[in-house]
Amino acid sequence: MFAIAGISGTIGRALLLVGFVGAVFGVFAAVTGARNNDPRVIRLVPRFAMLAFASAVGAFAAMEFAMITRDFSLAYVQKVGSWSTPALYNFAAVWSALEGSLLMWVLILAGYTVAVSFWIRKRMQEILAAWAMAVMLAVLAFFFLVSFLPANPFALGAKGVLDGPGPNPLLQNHILVLFHPPILYLGFVGVTVPFAFAIAALITGRVGEGWLLATRRWSLFAWGFLTFGIALGSWWSYEVLGWGGVWGWDPVENASLLPWITGTAYLHSVLVQERRGMLRVWNISLLVATFSLTILGTFLTRSGVLNSVHAFSESSIGIWFLSFFAVVLVGSVFLIGWRGDRLRSPGIIDSPFSREAAFLANNVLFALFAFIVLLGTVFPLIVEVLQDRQIAIGSPFFDRLTVPIGISLLTLMAIAPLLPWRKASLETLGARLFWPAWCGIAALVASLILGAYGLAPLLTFTLGGVSSGAALRQVVLATRRQGWRGLVGRANGGMIVHLGVILIAVALGASNSYSKSQELTLVTGVPVTFANHSFELVDVVEVRDDRSVSVKALVIVDGDKIYEPAITKYTRVGINVGTPAVKTSLASDIYLTLEPPVRQDSDTARIKVFIKPMIIWLWIGTGLMALGTLLAAFPGRRRRRLTDPTSAPADRTRALDLISEKSS
Amino acid sequence: MLLLVGLLLVFGSTRSGGPLTQQDRIDSIAKNLACPTCSGESVYVSRAAAAESIRTEVARQVGSGIRSDDEIITFIEQRFGGQVLLVPRATGLDALVWALPAAALVISASFLVSVFARWNRNKPKAPTTQDEKLVNRALAQEATKQDD
Repeated sequence: MFAIAGISGTIGRALLLVGFVGAVFGVFAAVTGARNNDPRVIRLVPRFAMLAFASAVGAFAAMEFAMITRDFSLAYVQKVGSWSTPALYNFAAVWSALEGSLLMWVLILAGYTVAVSFWIRKRMQEILAAWAMAVMLAVLAFFFLVSFLPANPFALGAKGVLDGPGPNPLLQNHILVLFHPPILYLGFVGVTVPFAFAIAALITGRVGEGWLLATRRWSLFAWGFLTFGIALGSWWSYEVLGWGGVWGWDPVENASLLPWITGTAYLHSVLVQERRGMLRVWNISLLVATFSLTILGTFLTRSGVLNSVHAFSESSIGIWFLSFFAVVLVGSVFLIGWRGDRLRSPGIIDSPFSREAAFLANNVLFALFAFIVLLGTVFPLIVEVLQDRQIAIGSPFFDRLTVPIGISLLTLMAIAPLLPWRKASLETLGARLFWPAWCGIAALVASLILGAYGLAPLLTFTLGGVSSGAALRQVVLATRRQGWRGLVGRANGGMIVHLGVILIAVALGASNSYSKSQELTLVTGVPVTFANHSFELVDVVEVRDDRSVSVKALVIVDGDKIYEPAITKYTRVGINVGTPAVKTSLASDIYLTLEPPVRQDSDTARIKVFIKPMIIWLWIGTGLMALGTLLAAFPGRRRRRLTDPTSAPADRTRALDLISEKSS
Repeated sequence: MLLLVGLLLVFGSTRSGGPLTQQDRIDSIAKNLACPTCSGESVYVSRAAAAESIRTEVARQVGSGIRSDDEIITFIEQRFGGQVLLVPRATGLDALVWALPAAALVISASFLVSVFARWNRNKPKAPTTQDEKLVNRALAQEATKQDD
């Protein structure tokens, strides 16, 4: 046994080093090849990318091997490994702490790098492609280095350790830990691709729209995974954490939301650039912001700095990410300034009543949204640095400021899809608003009949009605014109995504405003009624296995089925974890948690009951968003060169030359 | 139609959703308090022991019915220190967290207004004869194409 022990550590460390060297050589090959225009050198780039990818796969496999064989010679396995962890959760334990999740980041980024190099293989000689590969490989080299030096998952641990505590109990009682982190990382890391092309466009000065169209699907892909990953996170929070909510505005959640906000803004404003050649600086800035926010988010959540500024020095990882963040930011700003003259576009937006103006307003709102979330997340740090006192900022702050922004965004969603490009007359807008407006009124009347109250939720429902009318109008018109093709493509798929967003907004409005909760003390055999539902305790039982002791309350809800809210004590770490039980229906969820203190074999139990309306529509909305994203990415257009202009801004003198040429 | 919507909204937002129960009060207070041992979670969210004990204290205070919600929050704040507040106060440095978003709103709104005003000034004037020629030529080409 001990012959194997340690070997995965040696292999893993070696592979991380090989990967780093491969990535660095790849950067050199791409840069020198692009500068000297030497195809032979550029041809090496995909090979180095492949080498880095193979090393990453090998290192990840070595880590899994160490975890599966419980190789306790490694510090990381000592931290999150345990003989008593079930196989699946043990597999996921690899990414349950800092070092392992960075290793997963390396693996996914290396995967993206190879995928891009394959995708672009025929056009690798184009200078823009070579530079994009250089940027991707440089980012990859950074992550290899971090994984090799300050956060090495293969570092040796103390001698003589034979067993460990296993991963955090919260990370070993729901199957979602297998999916949520990898999917979220696919989104986080995927942002690197459009970022690399944006930087390459700046470096080469080919800042037309070619790079942007080329990376459209990559951006959509990353954004889709980010969306899906965030939604899975909220689902996990709802199913596991036991407070009955899906979003708590804690720093880790905010760190994943921030790049999503700027990424969403980018997906919208990029349309203006494709169509009108405008907002070039802004789009590149949004990509830079999205990428650097993934780095900043990693810094904030992984360095421990948010617990206290003073935790910053405890791990050296913080300074690495902060420096990288600074380099990315300063470098990008410098490049944008340097290429400023080429980025300026001559176009103008003719009227505030136009699609492009609506996109601009959308971007301003998203920028404000991102600013508020970022400010609320880092403000406690600022206060601690300046005044050496600790404050906390939580959901009441974020709710108060982001609800108005959400409602404004819904308003835009109601109007923008109806606006034509360039300019709309009020009559056009009025005519197009006809059906959507009726949808809105219907939604308002229906929600009033169902007993809704309060300005914010009612506005949400009404605007949700109008904007789903606007989205449906687009899809219906398109399918009438083009048959099934009216469902695919960016505009139509985008509207399906909008429908999903609207469902989520309405469900959040309803569940946040109309939840009811009550603590009930149940005695066996005596049904208790709360909010027209009955709850009857059958028994309180204890279940033991080799890693935990659970106490379960068996509760019959509405005389129907038995639900089992539980509290599980993980004996090895001594942490109590509550597990809620949820009865789901289309109208509302009944969510039960067992409250401490608990005693087995007692005939009473304290239960907290939440009645939460419309929760399931959050997940249905997420599904719709995912479907819409797929539809938006679907149709294949003819491939174009990276540097082709698509919407060359009207060059007046040249147009006039053409006319005179023709007429002569 | 707008009037109708407005009236319905006013009606809907002024009608009440029934009296607040004690549990509603406990929850709304707990949502405004930070769990002292966990980063950024509220007492309402957190399942940690410290949060549990604050919840119990809040429930006791609400149950006795002497103090108002704000007084209970102030009481907890005095007992556990300033970091239990989840909503920063609007005084001193903390006020910035409210002021900055407001400033950002004003700045971005005025940016939008000014940029549209500039675009409006620089709008191309009426089409030149050459523009019209170009359009006519294109239309003529289109017409011949359709004839083919």
